[in-house]
Amino acid sequence: MIDLITKNLPALQVVIPLMAAPICAIFNRGRLAWTIAFIVAIVSFAISAALLSQTLDGGVISYHLGGWAPPIGIEYRVDVLNAFVLLIVSGIAVVTLPYAVKSVAQEIPQEKQGFFYTALLLCLTGLLGVTITGDAFNVFVFLEISSLSTYALVATGAERNRRALTAAYNYLIMGTVGATFFVIGLGLLYMATGTLNMVDLAHQITLRGDSRMLHMGFAFVLVGIGLKLAMFPLHLWLPNAYTFAPSAVSVFISATSTKVAVYVLLRFMFGIFGFDYAYQQSTLQYVLLPLALLAMFAASLVAVFQTDLKRMLAYSSIAQVGYMLLGTAFMTQTGVMATVIHLFNHAVTKATLFMVAGAFVYSVGSSKISDLKGLGRAMPWTSAAFVVGGLSLIGIPLTVGFVSKWYLVQAALELGWWPIAAAIVLSSLIAVAYVWRIVETLYLHSPSPDSKAKEAPLAMIIPMWVLAAATVYFGTHAALTSAAASRAASTLISASNIIWQ
Amino acid sequence: MTSHDDISPDDMHWLSRKLLWVEKPGAGKRVLIVLLAICAVLALADFAYHKHAYFHIEEIPFIYAVYGFVSYATVIFLAKGLRLIIRRPEDYYAQDSTEVEDERPAGSDPSTLIPGSLSDRANRPGGISGGGSAHE
Amino acid sequence: MNEVLLPPLIYGLGAISIPFLPAGKLRQALMLAVPVLAFALIGNLPYGDYAVFNAAGLHIGLLRIDALSWIFALIFSIAAFISLLYAWHVDDRVQQVTTLLYAGSAIGAVFAADLVSLFVFWEGTAIASVFLIWARRTEGSYRTGMRYLVIQVFSGVLLLAGTVLMYRDTGSVAFNAMTLGSTATWCIFIAFGVKCAFPLLHNWLQDSYPAATITGTVTLSAFTTKLAVYALARGFPGTELLIYIGAVMTLFPVFFAAIENNLRRVLAYSLNNQLGFMVVGIGIGTPLALNGTVAHAFCHILYKALLFMSMGAVMYRTGTSKASELGGLYKSMPFTMVFCIIGAMSISAFPLFSGFVSKSLILSASADNGYFFIWLALITASVGVLEHSGIKIPYFTFFAHDNGWRVKEAPVHMLLAMGIAAAFCVGIGVFPGLLYQYLPYKMEAYVPYTTTHVVTQLQLLIFAGLAFALLIRYRLYPAEIRAVNLDTDWIYRRMLPIIVGFFAAMIGTIWKAAGQLTQYYVTSLIRGIYATHGPHGPLARTWPSGSMVLWVAVILGMTVLLTYV
Repeated sequence: MIDLITKNLPALQVVIPLMAAPICAIFNRGRLAWTIAFIVAIVSFAISAALLSQTLDGGVISYHLGGWAPPIGIEYRVDVLNAFVLLIVSGIAVVTLPYAVKSVAQEIPQEKQGFFYTALLLCLTGLLGVTITGDAFNVFVFLEISSLSTYALVATGAERNRRALTAAYNYLIMGTVGATFFVIGLGLLYMATGTLNMVDLAHQITLRGDSRMLHMGFAFVLVGIGLKLAMFPLHLWLPNAYTFAPSAVSVFISATSTKVAVYVLLRFMFGIFGFDYAYQQSTLQYVLLPLALLAMFAASLVAVFQTDLKRMLAYSSIAQVGYMLLGTAFMTQTGVMATVIHLFNHAVTKATLFMVAGAFVYSVGSSKISDLKGLGRAMPWTSAAFVVGGLSLIGIPLTVGFVSKWYLVQAALELGWWPIAAAIVLSSLIAVAYVWRIVETLYLHSPSPDSKAKEAPLAMIIPMWVLAAATVYFGTHAALTSAAASRAASTLISASNIIWQ
Repeated sequence: MTSHDDISPDDMHWLSRKLLWVEKPGAGKRVLIVLLAICAVLALADFAYHKHAYFHIEEIPFIYAVYGFVSYATVIFLAKGLRLIIRRPEDYYAQDSTEVEDERPAGSDPSTLIPGSLSDRANRPGGISGGGSAHE
Repeated sequence: MNEVLLPPLIYGLGAISIPFLPAGKLRQALMLAVPVLAFALIGNLPYGDYAVFNAAGLHIGLLRIDALSWIFALIFSIAAFISLLYAWHVDDRVQQVTTLLYAGSAIGAVFAADLVSLFVFWEGTAIASVFLIWARRTEGSYRTGMRYLVIQVFSGVLLLAGTVLMYRDTGSVAFNAMTLGSTATWCIFIAFGVKCAFPLLHNWLQDSYPAATITGTVTLSAFTTKLAVYALARGFPGTELLIYIGAVMTLFPVFFAAIENNLRRVLAYSLNNQLGFMVVGIGIGTPLALNGTVAHAFCHILYKALLFMSMGAVMYRTGTSKASELGGLYKSMPFTMVFCIIGAMSISAFPLFSGFVSKSLILSASADNGYFFIWLALITASVGVLEHSGIKIPYFTFFAHDNGWRVKEAPVHMLLAMGIAAAFCVGIGVFPGLLYQYLPYKMEAYVPYTTTHVVTQLQLLIFAGLAFALLIRYRLYPAEIRAVNLDTDWIYRRMLPIIVGFFAAMIGTIWKAAGQLTQYYVTSLIRGIYATHGPHGPLARTWPSGSMVLWVAVILGMTVLLTYV
């Protein structure tokens, strides 16, 4: 039995949440659905932890679904990179679910809660599937599973604000456009190589050499994924979706969905096309790099002027995605490592901050900055968690944000691109501005006299502080994450080296 | 305590009393005469012993006497010349220095100072002697 | 730490305990005990290095006792004792604490065997001593103190720079004799020179000493400059340049002193002039000359303190130290007058007074080595000393025109302090052997009282006195006038501020214009950023899905375009 489980861990990682989703729907009782979802999340987390421990030493698990051998059959392929991302996704799920209880109870009507958890589990399934699969088309399938469920989740915010519906609708249209481009890209790749298995794709590309078809395929994949990960200026779906989604959804998708998309980008770029692919190099340098820099500044500046906390955090996320793309565009080991480590660090930081925003929504009924005046006294724990997360967002030492920026700046300096290093530091200063606005509102403004705000319930505070503690813990014990990130980067590079030799 | 009126010699310290002669008329002249007499003796002493000179110039008789006198006068006249160039009003550096400040914060004993008496006058710029000659 | 209680430690402990002691006799007595105890603990130790340890690869030696440091420690301890006794009436904690710290630092510096600890104590004297100026607590004294502090700290910084360079050059920070040449030695030399009031570097002295408190000036006069003399004697004996520097130092203050009205400033100029003699002795560098320097420093500390104390006593009673306001005080303060005259005769080097037995060493050394013009300069300067310190100080204070002061005699503790100093002056003058036996360098037995010495010195002094009497008689002596006399400090007190003021005004105008321009641009920039990034700007607006598709097309187009590049 145990042997059976350990052998099939990669499949179980996806299958368990997938199977649990309809069960939730069948029972359709809030409390029970939540319990199932929570158990599933814990099991997923355990599985991904097991997978990471198996791959941390550089090993690769290749799992043939249904016993069909690749490239014909679907292969689940786990190395340290996607094991790390799996851990992030399932870990965030574990922390989000306890947080969701109170928040969902307040924001979602009782009769819809079962479906809500079903959608959440489907979304988790999709994200895990995208990450674990070694088959390019399978990526598309899981991507759509996660996206479709996310549209639904965002739309559930309509109970609080009807605009959630338009936000979800916009997201649906735009997300579908992205998915379409992605699948067109896959089609072109298939035409150029005759295969959809990632490893085989890489192999075939080296065998057949470069072609215009391949270029086209690459371009479509890039744009498709770029949209999913909210690459500036393809981010237009994101602010409204994050703002109007229920708090728990904001927490979960902000910490996972863009991260998974970034992972897909990394996997396609370096796992399939490889570091030395000339067309990719020029694309990264002339398209991705400027857009990343633009995102860092423009999105941060927009965040400074926002009047809604959740919206501000959404724009901040776009800026943070800029940092990840920047690390990717460096095309060096340190650069990729900075991106991978920022995946983790930003997930932790942003989840903390969206939890804070959710707690404000829970207690005050609004995330408008003008409604948060003087809450530092009424909601000390929540406000303090914001300070911790905010410091990490800026990149103050002892927080995870610093670790990310440290490696990012180092990567820029390794290449001798010191103006870009300066830009990274400069854009962090803009982060100071928008974080300070909130801190000032929380602590230095006097609360409105009729404010009856109370501290959020413990069920929200504890997950929030688990994550806040993680920002500090991994900020001071960066060796853990940086080792994993460094190995992940090395895996990508060595894989691409093998391809081209 | 102090008083502006002169105290009688009887109230003075014996040491001070002994010195009161310096204020008598003609005292300056007498001092000068005594001084001249001492000078004469000292000058003539040059012939009474063998001088152990380091330099030849020292062997000239009266050389130290003459040099002492001349160099003293020279110092004074050069200093007077210097004063013409470098003298400035007392408040030249204004509040930048302690010059025009009341000097009593330096730690003078307040109990000996009577308001409106000499001490008070003394600290007004251009006080008692007001730039004039302070000696007889 | 070799089980030795370091003198600076004892001073430090004394200083720390002061704030906790009630004002009064107990505190004052404890303070008096500090110098006695500190010296008693190390005075009998055999010569050698104590408290030696290794700090970060540097050999630090906190207590080097040899003949030179021993005698300086002795005189510093005596000076500390006398000035503390003189200040018995003061119950200002700031002054008490800093006086102890100051004296402790000076003694610590004397015992320092390496440049690093020398530097620490060197800055210690600077920082502690400035409070004796600030203790006056007036605007003028604050500003004067600031000027003093800047210069003193600058000296320390130079010393530090020299130390660092020295360590780089030689790998050692030991404080021993050096030869001028490298940047390191020049830095150290100038650092010492600033504290020693070399010509053109001297102004801090005349500027600050008269600004200190009555008791503070007495303390100040003993340590800072003599510490520099010690440092020069230790670090640069026999450096010929010092002979000429010293000769200039003996001469130029004479002229300033003659026309100065503030008698404590006269004494400051006189102090400068006396330092010149010591510097000449160091420059000559023979055992006789160096002994002369040490002896002169020893005697000088005592008679200069005595003079400052007598002037201080006068100021304590009258509230002024200006010659133009004083006069006729022999009637009220006869003892002070006697002590002042003893100090005056000592500094003028009358036979039987201490100045005579110490200055003779330096004069003989310069003559022995054939420095005729130097010797002549020193003789001339001796006449100058007689002029300003020997005659001017007592004459204008206690005699001259009676300005009507009727005050009490100085308090007993002041008279006692002056009495001790005066006793030393006369004692050493009459029994020079008392001092000579402690002089650090081996030399042939020196006899100051030869007929030639005594007669020639008396001729010089008495005839100079005759000149004074005649000049007074014929009203040719420069009158005492309330005025200030410019010295080279004018450059930094007046000229530099004018120049700086000019440039500041110019830069200010440019800055203002630039500021307005920048403000204009920044305002427009922020307005622009707000217009684009603000909540209703295009970057933050909620766009219809179509626009997104447009962007997708644009990005795709750009990427595809690269295919053809």
